[in-house]
Order: sequence, then C-alpha cells, then structure tokens
Amino acid sequence: MTTVPAALPPEMTDIDIVVATERDGSGEALIRDLQRTRNRIRHIWPIPEMLPADTDVIFCDLVPSLAARLPWLPGAPKAALVALISPGMRIDLDLLRKTAPEAILHRPFSSPAILSCLLLARSRFTYERRLRGRLEKLDGTLRAMRSIERAKTILMKARNIGEDEAYGYLRAQAMRQRLSVSAVATKIVDIGEPAG
Amino acid sequence: MAVIEETQRRGTLLAIEEVNERGGVNGREIVPVFYDPASELSSFGRYAKQLLIADDVTMIFGCYTSSSRKAVLPVVERLNGLLWYPTLYEGFEFSPNVIYTGAAPNQNSVALCQHLIKSYGRRFYFIGSDYIYPHESNRIMREAIQKHGGDVVGETYLSLHARRRDFLPVMREIRELQPDAIFSTVVGDATIYLYQSFADANLNPKTTPIASLTTTETEIRAMGFDVGEHHITAAPYFQNLESDSNRIFVNSYKKKYGDDEPTNMCAEAAYFQMHIFAKALEATNSMDPDILRPMVLGSNFDAPQGRISINPLSNHTDLWTRIGRANRLGQFDLVHQSFAPVQADPFLTAY
Repeated sequence: MTTVPAALPPEMTDIDIVVATERDGSGEALIRDLQRTRNRIRHIWPIPEMLPADTDVIFCDLVPSLAARLPWLPGAPKAALVALISPGMRIDLDLLRKTAPEAILHRPFSSPAILSCLLLARSRFTYERRLRGRLEKLDGTLRAMRSIERAKTILMKARNIGEDEAYGYLRAQAMRQRLSVSAVATKIVDIGEPAG
Repeated sequence: MAVIEETQRRGTLLAIEEVNERGGVNGREIVPVFYDPASELSSFGRYAKQLLIADDVTMIFGCYTSSSRKAVLPVVERLNGLLWYPTLYEGFEFSPNVIYTGAAPNQNSVALCQHLIKSYGRRFYFIGSDYIYPHESNRIMREAIQKHGGDVVGETYLSLHARRRDFLPVMREIRELQPDAIFSTVVGDATIYLYQSFADANLNPKTTPIASLTTTETEIRAMGFDVGEHHITAAPYFQNLESDSNRIFVNSYKKKYGDDEPTNMCAEAAYFQMHIFAKALEATNSMDPDILRPMVLGSNFDAPQGRISINPLSNHTDLWTRIGRANRLGQFDLVHQSFAPVQADPFLTAY
C-alpha cells in the first residue's frame, strides 16, 4: 500500500468518480485507493446500460459494449474515461480507439498506477476541453471580427468619420450598454445603421 | 424535409449504381449502409456514432440542414471519419473531417444579390425558417445588399413546421411594405406554402419575385409549375443545363426514378461527390480518411454542372455560380452564370 501524497494536483481534487467494475479484491483496492484521494466515489455494478454522465471520471471495464454504454456522443465526452483491463484479456485495439479512453489501467491495480491514471485522465480531459473551448471561441472571434469591420464601415459612411473614431464609437456604446464590442457591432450590422 | 433529402439519397444511389455497374472500385462493390434520421436532430449524432462504431464505416454521405451537419461534426472529428456534405450552407466552417460539395455564400448569395438589385430594385424583404442557416445566411445577404446600396425593409422567421395559415400575415406585410424582391431562406415542406400563399395573395412574381438559394426543381414541382413561374433561384446546377455530362446524368436519373422526377442541385452534388470518392478510393485503395483525403483535395471532376474541383485550402468545392428563373415547365431558365468555377471562400475573406 502506498500513501496518497498530502497535496494532490487540482485536477485530482474535489471531483466525482464512478467506478464500474466487480468488487473483487482488486476492485476493492481500486475503490479504497480512490477514496484516499478524498474525492466522491460511486461504485456501480453490474455496468449499467447507460453509464452516468453527472461525474468527472469513469473507471469502467473495457467490455465490448462499452461504446454503447457511454452517455455521450464521440467528440462530446462529458467525463474522463479510464478503461480497466483484466489479465489474459485479448486487447481489442479497435474498441479502444472507438471508446477513446483518456487512460487505461491493468488488473491487478497498483496504487501508483491508479493515481497516475487518474491524473493523466483528468488532465488530458480538461486540456481537451480547454482546446475545444478555444476553438469555439476562435470561430466566434472570426465572425465577430467580420461584424466589427462591417459595423465600422457602416458607421464611417453614415457619420462621415474615420476608422478610429468609428471604433471608438463602438467601444463607447459597448461600455454604455454593458455589451461586448462585437455584440454592439452585430446589432449595427443587423439593423444596418448606427443605433442610439 | 423528406422531399428534398430524398433527392440527395437518389443522387447518391445513382452514382453508386454507376460505379458498381462498371465493375466497382478495383473490382469491389460499393455497398451503402443506410439510416433514416427522419429529420430528427438527435438521431443524426446517434446514427453517425452507429456508423462509425458499430458498422465500421469511415465515410458518411448526407445531411441536408446545417443543424444536422453540426450534430454529426463532433462525431466524425473525434473518430476521424469523413462527412461528405452535398448541401449549400451559410459558410464560416472548416473541418478537416468534412468535404463540402454544396455552395458557400460567395458562390450564390453575392451574385444573387447583385442580380436582384439590377433587375428588380433595392428594397428587400427577408423570410426564413427559424434555425441556424436562415439567420446566418440572412446576415451575409444583408451585408451584400447594403454594400450594393440596397435596404432590408422587413424580416420574418417562421418555424420549420410552419403551416399554410402562418404565411397569411407575412403576405399581408409584404403587400404593405411593397419590397422589390423577397429573399427566402424557408426550407423544407414550408417552401411550398410560401410560394402558394404568395400566388394566392395575387402578388406578382414578374415584378417582385421570391429569390432563394434552396428552392429547386423538386420544390417547384411540389408547389405547381404555375405557382413557381418567374421566381428566382441561385444554384450551381439546374436540370436545364446543356452539357454532355448533364444529359447523361438527367437521363440515368429519369430512367431510374421516373420521367417526371426532376434532378436538382442536391441530387447533383450528392451524385458527383460519390464519383469523386470512388475515384479517390480507386487511387488509394484505402478507406482510411487520412489516406483518402489528400487524394480528394485538389481533385477535379466533370460534374453535370461543369468541371469542378475540391479546393485543398478549405475542403470546399470550386463550383459554378448560376441564377435561374423558373419557367412554366418547372425548369429554370439561366439568367446569369459565371465564366468559370468560382473559388469557394467560406469565410468570405475576399468580400
């Protein structure tokens, strides 16, 4: 038995963990080690038809039906997934690819492996979520930049002012209306004329 | 949405049949796996998952609405599938996991706007179905209209499931506002009610047409040729086009589906994208998107609409810009066409 470090990384604290594996000796050890991280652990057995989505990490046996039991569509995961693999099990690489777990853990589970898998799974998951968020934002920014350019042109024409002045007007309106510059710009583009 | 989606299915099937009839791809048959999401948004993601996971499919052909494409997108991106999307859409997207073979706004909206202002006047009325494509498409159209000195005098959105009676107040408003042209982004079965209500209200399409990017020969047939006459559509393809490749396409389509069945831009894009896929597959002999994709990007094809190519910068297709006016026979007479295929510019960087 290893001791859990006193200070855990933020990815490993204050999280919900679901464990879906048989509560044999090894399963018991897994649950105990996870409990030592002082996170909230929920054990479910047998594996439900649909795994719960209201959690941060799922530890689940890599069963052939796992893809169908995940409560999300590929590309939109709601929790980090750690696939549990039993000794002697033929490794199904295709299944692994399709279920896309963040980490895998082999039976019998050792404490160092459990802790490192938990960290890897969580940090990969949160990192990907940040990247996805960034992409979404980039898409939005692309549109916003276009709106701002358009709004500036509209303002420059309508008020016979320069580019800087037009942008200044957008900023002032944004401050006054407590909106983003792009939201003000979009409004102007939509109405087709400067408001206010 | 069933009627128009069915034409995409037919275009796809016809191309598969042609490929298989001449011996398949490297001696192997193309066998499609079909699911019908019944226009149900949640089903699109579910079936995409089913195709990529349970059916071991890597290439998905289909999706009509933008919302359905957006539902499939994360799935193909995560599992590295390839979605072949044969519908015009509002642009502002680029995914390495999608091949876009319908028109982007710079290939239809911009020319349509110029044509309408030149031929009918500067005052526009917008009517659309209430979902992502119409809102985004109208934003782009408004921009083009303003740039050319025009004005949007009214704007209305109706549910995708709008009934005939929902169009009555719209017609009243159009009568009051007297725009020079109506730009419609109404899609699906409601399209028929829109045009029929327009005719019932005795509005004159010769002076004030409904202009659209989605009303094809198929919708015109459903609403009645007399109802559709004189209205305007911008599209890369019309059944009426004079070319050998189109004659072959139209003949085979009618032979397979019946003499009364018109082809349209959706069937055409679905048709040529399957042929482009088959050509790429023949060269790579691999269904792995990472191997097939480079072969697809930059490739050319003599499609029914003319020579087109897949633009390697954007995964979109360099297509023909055309504007047609519906005639008494439910066909479109060309009133404008580009001199050459127009480069896809999904982010409108050059406009």
